[in-house]
Amino acid sequence: MISTDISVWIAAFFTIAATSYVFKDNIIFKFAEYTFIGVAAGHALVMGFENIKKYGWSHLVAGEYIYVIPFIVGILMDYRYHPKYYWLYRYGIAFLVGQGIGLSMRGMVHTDFIKQIAATAGPLTAETALGTFNAIIIFILTITCLTHFIFTIRQVHIGTVSWLPKIGRYGMLLAFGAAFGNTVMTRFSQYQGRMLFLLRDWLGIAAP
Amino acid sequence: MGLEKVGAMPRWLVMTIVVILMAIPLIHPLGILPAISESTTDFYNAIDQLKPGDVVLFDIGFGSGGYPTLGPAAVAILRHCFSKDLKIVIMATQQEGTVIYPLLMDKVKPEEVYGAKYGEDYVFLGFITGVQTAMAAVLGDLHSATPKDYFGTPIENIPMLADIKGADDIDVVVYLTTAGEVAEGWVYQAYSRYNKVTCGGWLSMMTPSLKPYYDTGALAGMLDGIRGAAEYEKLIGQPGDAMKTTDVLNLTQVWVLILVILGNIAYFAVRGKEGS
Repeated sequence: MISTDISVWIAAFFTIAATSYVFKDNIIFKFAEYTFIGVAAGHALVMGFENIKKYGWSHLVAGEYIYVIPFIVGILMDYRYHPKYYWLYRYGIAFLVGQGIGLSMRGMVHTDFIKQIAATAGPLTAETALGTFNAIIIFILTITCLTHFIFTIRQVHIGTVSWLPKIGRYGMLLAFGAAFGNTVMTRFSQYQGRMLFLLRDWLGIAAP
Repeated sequence: MGLEKVGAMPRWLVMTIVVILMAIPLIHPLGILPAISESTTDFYNAIDQLKPGDVVLFDIGFGSGGYPTLGPAAVAILRHCFSKDLKIVIMATQQEGTVIYPLLMDKVKPEEVYGAKYGEDYVFLGFITGVQTAMAAVLGDLHSATPKDYFGTPIENIPMLADIKGADDIDVVVYLTTAGEVAEGWVYQAYSRYNKVTCGGWLSMMTPSLKPYYDTGALAGMLDGIRGAAEYEKLIGQPGDAMKTTDVLNLTQVWVLILVILGNIAYFAVRGKEGS
């Protein structure tokens, strides 16, 4: 049975309006697009204000004066729009970049570097035939992909070993294909969620 | 119609066929159940082996755009957690997570279905800005990081948080996200820094770049988009929106395969013509 809930009708309208772009760019789509941007911007503004209040101002008024530093850094960031003192924003950016790198560096070295190398440099034989096949593929493609990125020695790409980077390139193309397939699947899975909403929650014709 | 014209198939026709292929199994389900992958089983086991009272930190790292894919996964995981009487600390590292939270709770219904009480069995801290800064702050000193929960209740007045002060008091970290920085951030902060059991779920298109974390053991479990969500629903025995979409994905993927083949035929037809 078709929904009588006004919020469901509004959601259905915006879903169809957003999808209408598939046929042609039109005013209904633009209305949906601008409404979404407006709502998202409004939500971001309120959340930003709430963040300042919750994580900065509340500490400051409670007597934790160290919290004045984030406020100063935040104000410095706004100098980006000042015609004369715009360079001050670089101090804010420097603070953010330094803090971000410092936070992630430790974990990054461990999980993105050491563990990945350790996993790649594993034995070529596994318990199952498929496992052994995978290990050999990983070994070959790791070596050949690395050779593809050796730019300082020209002979690697034109000499007798030029087949090495070529295999690496084909390996990367296979990976891009897999990534593309996953991207298509993701987009469809996102849209099918809206289809389920339209057919079940709005029109009431889908299986419950 | 020449073969080369196949490559110029109008966008509206492609999409109309997609819509039809999606609608048919939603109206008349074909009943194809997903095969359960090892990564989803590992995710399920990481939660399932916990004892009542153990603590799960659950991050809503997605907004409305990721809700159709990750919403069903979040609902299934939360149902699993509530059914095992776990303490759940919910937070959001994406701004729209605060909008997603009530949608999830409307479906899970912790009070009605599981007899859980807000503040005693679960709590929502709201959006905490800074991504990795937020993760490090919550795991380091939760009480300092968030003076109040999302609804404005001071942290010291929330009973379940009296004994949950940081990473040492958290048993499993679970996150679902559409953002690569969130997916990597939890690995760096929860697993690498505190050696916590960490499980992640994300959009399928992020899998090729993030699966190595699961393969190397940094992630104890992994949910691969809507397919992972469907598998999780099957594991907990509560079919939801994700399982309904298995048929849809099967049919639409076949359509994509057909399009890829047609596109290649058209490409070679055009190239052959130009060559001659």
